[in-house]
Amino acid sequence: MTLLQIDGLSVRFRLRDAVVQAVTDLTLSVRPGELLAVVGESGCGKSVLAHALFGLLPRNAEVTGRALMGEVDVLRCGEKRLAREIRGRRLGLVPQSPATALTPVRTGRSLLAETLRAHRRDPGLADTVAADAGLDAHALDRYPFELSGGMAQRLVTALALASDPPLLIADEPTTGLDRPLVDHTLDLLRRRCDNGGAVLLITHDLAAAERVADTVAVMYASRIVEHRPAPDVFAAPAHPYTAALLDALPDRAFTPIPGHPPMLTALPPGCAFAARCPRADTACASRPGGPVACHHPLVSEAVA
Amino acid sequence: MIKLIRRRLAVAVPVLFATSVGMFLLGASSPMDPAMQYAGAAAFTTSPENMAELRANWGVDDPLPVRYLRWLGNLLQGDLGWSTTRHEDVAAVIGARAGWTLLLIGITLAVVLAGSLLLGTIAAYRRGGLLDRGLRAGAYAVESMPVFWLALAAIAVFSLALGWFPAGGLTDVRATGTGVGDVAHHLVLPVTVLAVSQTPWFLLFVRDSVAESLRDDHVLAARARGLAGRTVLFGHALRTALLPFLTLVGTHLPELVGGSVLVETVFSLPGLGAVSVQAALGSDFPLLAAITLITTAMVLTANLATDLAYTAADPRVRIDG
Amino acid sequence: MADLALARPRRRTLRLRSGHVGTTLAALVLAGAVLAGLAAPLLWPLDQSAIALDNIAQPPSLAHPGGTDDLGRDGLHRSLYGLRVSLLVGLVAAVVATVIGGLVGGIAGLLGGWPDRLLMRVVDTISALPHLLLGIFIVAMLRPSLGAVILSIALTHWLSTARIVRSELLSLRTRPFIDAAIAGGASRARILRRHLLPHILPKIALATTLMIPHAVWHETSLSFLGLGLPPHLASLGNMINDGQRSLLTGAWWASIVPGAVIVMVTLAIAALAARWRDRLDPRVRAELNL
Repeated sequence: MTLLQIDGLSVRFRLRDAVVQAVTDLTLSVRPGELLAVVGESGCGKSVLAHALFGLLPRNAEVTGRALMGEVDVLRCGEKRLAREIRGRRLGLVPQSPATALTPVRTGRSLLAETLRAHRRDPGLADTVAADAGLDAHALDRYPFELSGGMAQRLVTALALASDPPLLIADEPTTGLDRPLVDHTLDLLRRRCDNGGAVLLITHDLAAAERVADTVAVMYASRIVEHRPAPDVFAAPAHPYTAALLDALPDRAFTPIPGHPPMLTALPPGCAFAARCPRADTACASRPGGPVACHHPLVSEAVA
Repeated sequence: MIKLIRRRLAVAVPVLFATSVGMFLLGASSPMDPAMQYAGAAAFTTSPENMAELRANWGVDDPLPVRYLRWLGNLLQGDLGWSTTRHEDVAAVIGARAGWTLLLIGITLAVVLAGSLLLGTIAAYRRGGLLDRGLRAGAYAVESMPVFWLALAAIAVFSLALGWFPAGGLTDVRATGTGVGDVAHHLVLPVTVLAVSQTPWFLLFVRDSVAESLRDDHVLAARARGLAGRTVLFGHALRTALLPFLTLVGTHLPELVGGSVLVETVFSLPGLGAVSVQAALGSDFPLLAAITLITTAMVLTANLATDLAYTAADPRVRIDG
Repeated sequence: MADLALARPRRRTLRLRSGHVGTTLAALVLAGAVLAGLAAPLLWPLDQSAIALDNIAQPPSLAHPGGTDDLGRDGLHRSLYGLRVSLLVGLVAAVVATVIGGLVGGIAGLLGGWPDRLLMRVVDTISALPHLLLGIFIVAMLRPSLGAVILSIALTHWLSTARIVRSELLSLRTRPFIDAAIAGGASRARILRRHLLPHILPKIALATTLMIPHAVWHETSLSFLGLGLPPHLASLGNMINDGQRSLLTGAWWASIVPGAVIVMVTLAIAALAARWRDRLDPRVRAELNL
């Protein structure tokens, strides 16, 4: 039984003189109680994935593939059904960049009460919901521009929790928070999963993923390159890109990955990481497949 | 709040002062002789001695600064002067008509704001749709129609061909007083014409800013929370787009005043606009100058009011206001 | 994500094609109007005194698409003559307004400092006044005449040009190539002539073109009120004013036809100017697609 089953999701943006390949042939699933972390550098297409599931992409986006929640394909079911059945109700979003995600002319309390009311909950619960997200009640009476980055972050988290959705998509929910608050937020997400909910955590913070995730999907240049249980990924990364990411962490080797990721407007036909990969050879000119998208994985049994 | 009013006054007073100087200079350079105007047809029969006495009484041959200061002093004391075309006190002329003009402009503004906010928001929501394209094409077409022509066309269709509404005036010719229903019936066409001619600009502005706001992060976030379409549209998209709109309403008021002059003339309404045209035809400086100054003062007051409304509506301004 | 969202959806082919149709139509209307207006005296001479009493106040027909007036003259024919007057007055007034605005904006933008603040305060002052009322005041004090009308238009319409010229100059002053020219020892006059003018002239020309419809409206409004051009200069506004009286006797075409000519020509000018603006500044695509 899965909450969300994504099959072959691709998202492309048509620009005036280019096509941006933001997500390519992505397959993922989330079960109840699972905390799935999608990690990768910024600009690899993680946030587009979230917006695609909510049907919030701009009109120049072309979406293909399926994303089933129960029997509903959220990519095809249409705006009306998304608004009535999916958004907020079965799928919650903690949006990226909280500073711009809050309506500037309304207080946190008015936004939170409005969301609670929209989901037939008591608007008086605002204080409790805010406290769950680590936000003081008095901060609710302020306008977004009066909030610090961390307070705004906790407010958007509280807004996403207000409708208590079975699956929460949290897009970089720990930006701008200091260490204790990061831990508080991560524990909050973990607790939701332990109580039967599910969370899709989108982050570039590998330490955060290591702390709470059950499974990890590593995304590089619009594709998932490795999708395995979290302990395995962190103990023995299979894809050279995952290994390089881990090596870049300050408490590991602290060596940055050489070179730059390819532009999403000009992806190579073969393995996108080949240009930066120490293990690359001629085989990498063709596209690798499997749960670890690599011709030369570091851990061979993972391929099987 | 007080600081804002004080800052506004610091601008408004020099504006009014500069306007009065400019108008006085223009009036002084006019080839019309106020004494001759005052005497009217009698000027031809009055003896030169009497005319000279009249001129001395009026001080029309005094140096410019003296005349200006006298005029300004009188204005400040509430003496607006003597209308040379209507042969009555300017204050009385204006007092009898200002109310009708304010009524016309007030109702029109309310109709324009309600119409453009509602239609503009819906057009933005369904942008690219039939309503959006229809409204925009209509708006561009109406924007290129002179308001007086629109008024004539409305009279031709709704008064003469269909006979639904009267072609002019404020009350029925047989009426003895000014009944509310009668006046309202007479105001339908003028208000509609003025509103239609002013709406396109507002409508297009609302449509564009709401359309832009609909792609804002906070609107997407509101949708992601599963709020109803109407709540997102009016409570989030329109509400943020509303603020810049408020100040623009203030800057667009002079346009509305200009339109009311033409509409009042076409529909023969007894307002300030129509009387200022009569004053202009007779080069009636005191009346025309007073109307222009008062209108300017009203526009400045309205600007202040929109700024105060802005301050009340936008928390970001309220803090440091 | 943010920059992707900024990329607006574009139905390119459709938009381009409909844009072409609109532009072509606008160009045709304008060319036809200008040609008819300028060449009318040669092609279709109007004898203002010719009176056809057997043909008075006829509604539009095949022979007279614009109907005839109470002296039996063809309405469309007279409208073309009126258009000629209105367009010429509008053009001259727009040019005068541009000169005033260019000078004020130029001085403000080049000098900066207190002259800039003072001049811009003057601009703000005048824009707080109702245009038409101010225009009426000017004409009333100078007595209605061709010169007074042009002055009335020019004195109320130069503000936008002044603002455009000033802000263009201010933004150009911070651009590297101006610094480079100054560092290279170019004189003020040379920088102005070689570097600043070529940049702002196209924008000024565009602003002037966009002003013509407004100038035409102002003229027709004044003429309509009886405060505009003297009656022998049969501008469109004068014709509509005349037609207003016959409206009550049922001759609607006498005021509607000249008005329709104004609408078509101003729409054509606005559509062409919008295309031109797109060319000049592709980042801000005009919303006008007919």
